[in-house]
Amino acid sequence: MIQISQKCVGCGKCTTVCPFGALSLANRKAVASAACTMCGACVSQCPVGALSLPINGAAKKDLSAYKGIWVFLEIADNASVRHVRSVGYELLSKGRELANQVGEELCAVIIGNNIQPFFAEISQYGADKIYAVESPAYTQYNTAAYAHAMITLIKKYNPSVVLFPSTYVGRDLSPRLAAELFVGLTADCTGLAIKEGNLIQTRPAFGGNILADIKCPDYRPQMATVRPNVFKKVAAAPGKVAQVLRETIPVCTEAARVRVINTHMDPPVSGQKLDEAEVVIAGGRGMKNKAGFDLLENLAQQLGGTVGASRAAIDLGLKKKEDQIGQSGVTIAAKFYVACGISGAVQHVCGIEHSDVIVGINKDANAPIFNVCKYGFVGDALQILPKILEQLKK
Amino acid sequence: MNIIVCIKQVPDSTQVKVDPKTGTLIRAGVPSILNPYDHFALEKALEIKAKTGAKVTVLSMGPAQATAVLRLALALGADEGVLLSSRAFAGSDTWATAYALAMAVKKIGSFDLVMCGQMAIDGDTAQTGPEMAYHLGIPQITFCEHIDANGQTAVVKKLIEGGHQILEADLPLLVTMTMPADYVAKYPSFMAAHKAQDKLIRTWTETDIGADPHKLGLEGSPTRVDRIFPPPARAKGEMYSGTSVELANKFVEILKKERVIK
Amino acid sequence: MAKNDLTTRNLMLDSLKQYAKNRISFNLLREHDAKNEIPLDILKEMYDHDILGVHLLLIPEEYGGLGGQTTEIYRICEQLARIDLGIATGVFATFLGSDPLNVGGTPEQKAKWFKKIAQENKLVAYGATEADAGSDLVSLRTRAEHVIKDGQVVGYKITGSKMWISNGGVADIYTVLALAPGGPSWFIVEKGTPGFTQDVHEDKHGIRLSNTAGLAFDEVYVPAENLIGLKEGQGFLQAQAVFGYTRLMVAAFGLGGGEEAVETALEYAQQRIQAGGPLAQKQGFMLKLITPHYIRFEAARAYIDWTAKQLEVNNHGLATEGAIAKLYATESGNKAAEDAIQAMGGFGYTKEFAVEKIKRDVKITCIYEGTSEVLEMTIFRGRWQEHLKSRGQYYLNQAAEFDALHAQNPQVGADSVALGFRALARVLEDCRANKLTRHQYVTFMLGDLISEMEVAAVFTRQCANKVITEGSRFDLESLCTMARVNARQSAFKTASEGLRLILGTCPTINTAEVSQAVNLTAIEDKMRGLIEDMDQVSAKLRDIFKK
Repeated sequence: MIQISQKCVGCGKCTTVCPFGALSLANRKAVASAACTMCGACVSQCPVGALSLPINGAAKKDLSAYKGIWVFLEIADNASVRHVRSVGYELLSKGRELANQVGEELCAVIIGNNIQPFFAEISQYGADKIYAVESPAYTQYNTAAYAHAMITLIKKYNPSVVLFPSTYVGRDLSPRLAAELFVGLTADCTGLAIKEGNLIQTRPAFGGNILADIKCPDYRPQMATVRPNVFKKVAAAPGKVAQVLRETIPVCTEAARVRVINTHMDPPVSGQKLDEAEVVIAGGRGMKNKAGFDLLENLAQQLGGTVGASRAAIDLGLKKKEDQIGQSGVTIAAKFYVACGISGAVQHVCGIEHSDVIVGINKDANAPIFNVCKYGFVGDALQILPKILEQLKK
Repeated sequence: MNIIVCIKQVPDSTQVKVDPKTGTLIRAGVPSILNPYDHFALEKALEIKAKTGAKVTVLSMGPAQATAVLRLALALGADEGVLLSSRAFAGSDTWATAYALAMAVKKIGSFDLVMCGQMAIDGDTAQTGPEMAYHLGIPQITFCEHIDANGQTAVVKKLIEGGHQILEADLPLLVTMTMPADYVAKYPSFMAAHKAQDKLIRTWTETDIGADPHKLGLEGSPTRVDRIFPPPARAKGEMYSGTSVELANKFVEILKKERVIK
Repeated sequence: MAKNDLTTRNLMLDSLKQYAKNRISFNLLREHDAKNEIPLDILKEMYDHDILGVHLLLIPEEYGGLGGQTTEIYRICEQLARIDLGIATGVFATFLGSDPLNVGGTPEQKAKWFKKIAQENKLVAYGATEADAGSDLVSLRTRAEHVIKDGQVVGYKITGSKMWISNGGVADIYTVLALAPGGPSWFIVEKGTPGFTQDVHEDKHGIRLSNTAGLAFDEVYVPAENLIGLKEGQGFLQAQAVFGYTRLMVAAFGLGGGEEAVETALEYAQQRIQAGGPLAQKQGFMLKLITPHYIRFEAARAYIDWTAKQLEVNNHGLATEGAIAKLYATESGNKAAEDAIQAMGGFGYTKEFAVEKIKRDVKITCIYEGTSEVLEMTIFRGRWQEHLKSRGQYYLNQAAEFDALHAQNPQVGADSVALGFRALARVLEDCRANKLTRHQYVTFMLGDLISEMEVAAVFTRQCANKVITEGSRFDLESLCTMARVNARQSAFKTASEGLRLILGTCPTINTAEVSQAVNLTAIEDKMRGLIEDMDQVSAKLRDIFKK
């Protein structure tokens, strides 16, 4: 349980930040209940420093030897055109920012075979150095082989931060390294910053409804994974040339214990199911007729989305029953949802509330759909949609 | 063949909500469930058991209440359960958790296959499995949808970006399982639930597994929570009105802002 | 093998919930409800040993069942009711139909029939009710005549008819009550026995997924070995022996149906924006249509569970307690379902949401296994005896117990329970002194007040003992607040309603005197802080049932 010292002034600030509701005030002092998981979220929130985790002050390691921001780049080997995954460049872009802030080097790490062609591009995304491990034996990703190579590099150069793409490869490799190095690793960060020498890693935590800032003050390197599209890729800077350091690391023998038999790539997708679609465009009574729904189909095609309908539109015969979104239809969890000419009756809202971004287009400014919208457009969808389509064609 | 399946009891995330005022979680009345990925891993282990007669042991770390998920696993067909439970494990991050679980696996003794869910839905890290594999000194294959194993080797279907691979590996091996989209978890019949009461569940502490106390709980956890905060609230109705063209322009702007288009 | 523990019960409940989630969609329910059709394939699956094997609960272990205790059976009943009361009734009919065998069967009979039911997943029906013999079985008409061979009774010929038999048209095995020469007796009749026919099933107000049909017996021959217990004249005893138990199951139906309706309405109200905020944030909405019902559900849950635990010790009996549980829980569930429609307004009145169906379904729980009025009579009779036997001390003694409880824990409304018991004792005594129970209406209402106070007492006592009833989703603090609210309201109802009955039937009694005697003023004084407590409960409800 969290330790509460005599310094506690009973301000109650900690009671509101505990994700588990384990802190309360009794006799003007904070007290922790058995619900405490020792997550430590309250420690930094206490204005008088009365809260601490019950941990023996372990001998602090000298962390000054750890310098440099590293980004592990992944090669998309099975793609029709071999390339470095874009998420790696997103991380280099973010890494550049962090490296500038602390005045350290930004280094890319790339493992594979025939990697020379990528060096120029990597340079353009701001890397100061490229650690390159090249061998035909590294052609295909192999956990043991890549882990051995990374461990060798990290132990040799002692970086302060190592960032990984949160891809199947990044998520396979990074924890294996964290275990061996006895360091922290934060998965799927949505934000990264450096504060007082520590990498502050923001991620959804405790079930995904709340965000946490995570740090690893006593361990180096600090490691994190980041999903694609979280950070912006900064436009390439032509002319920049990174220093390439080639490292020869023989493939470890353990690598042979796992063998690829074959690889299958999925055919390109066409037409998604409503409940799996990332972009959903739906129409209601306000779309009036089939021509109205054709506009929705067009927009969906442009955005790579799928079309659904409210119950009112289904009843009008504008769409099939399977396409109904709502209480008695399909529940969607789209990243981007557009409700066109849908008033937003509760039976509809039931089916869309898990979507990340909800956009409403409705003539009635008082339509309930606007209560759940991030963006509300007051206007006639039948008028606005053709204009949007025109814009998109440009 | 001996299979050890690692399982975790988690709050049913579909029922956990955030207090809009304090941003903290409301857990009152939220039921606990078996982490769905672990449920799938267990079912795959039981499929192997059905084919090969392997012995399936389920392992969980958690408070005494976590017995419930072990019992569920036993009702579904696992042979024995082990619960790691002690104050010493409190405050563990994935590193310390993986270390403790790995020590428990070693204590269970001979094993050919360790199976984990890809991740727990209350943490979403997908780290504990691979970290365990390191501590056990065995290879890992993560994000597997299917596995077949005999006493010597396993053949797995593993997801990769944009497709999948078929891999073959020598045992012992650790796999983490991810379930297909249409997965419907199996639940035991009433009789199976009834009979599971007679199967053995052992409870071990840090001393039983011979763990290094410096690698457990908070001390074995490199990560610290600096602060928590609620996600920026869903902006309540940023409203636009104007001519159709103005609104269309705004709409396209939003498509870019929300990264629907580039 | 060990008796099922809490973990096992919860596993069974989870399996049932998951099965329903995957197989019993709202659309399936709606379609069958519209068609007035039993989903036989669903029932067969629920009986399938590898899927659920729900019927094994009631079969003793030695015959291949899992010997369910009262607690798990009522909890399963509650969950079944939350899924659909028609399906629940179909399952329950097998439980009920097997009960005469359980109570009165010889070991050989149990072995034969229970094994058959367990292994072959047989649906069973309980054939008691007749056109002139409903909750009151005395005017039974169906007859069983001896068939004699070589001077020995080798069998019976059954003639007569039964009505409103759940599973009537679909069961494989029927337990049938008939008047034998030696008195009312239970017989086992198998489907397909010559002369035995089933009518088309009823077009009912609710539980339309349950098959309900009349049975006709035209000289149906059954061998003597099918007479349950091999002894004539045991029928009523065998029927009554299980009333405490079977009524507890129907109580759980009322609870489950009511909960499902109110929770549906509450989830709706969390999203329905009216006048600038969600309906569920409106005090009037909550205190009128939602909160009081949930308080009664928690009281009912505490009482049902307490009675179940008593039954597990005493095995059978507890007829009064079973009647109290059923009366209280089913009437509460029924009223709650009605208010759930009101809470959802126009939506509630459409078939797009489940509450309209639940309202129709849950009504049956106030009717079958003893109508509310029969129960009120049963409860009255049971406690009237106690009142007379103890010379008026029965409830006064309990009042003293609650005074002591209040001294230990002032947060659970034990003071109000004590006041309510004293008022009840006084009302009963005035009824006795003035012979007011010659009014049948008074006896009904007294049955109601007795059940009101006894449930409140158990709920309050459980909270004082820090018992959180299994299945409750509330913390102890909230339950204490609920018990406090409930005790006050029950005491108030008892005192004011008691006054109404006495003054309304007895012209000679002095108003001021009797009013003082039931101590209405003191009970009214306990109302301070009531609304604040209810607001607290509302807040908790919003937390728990937020979608």
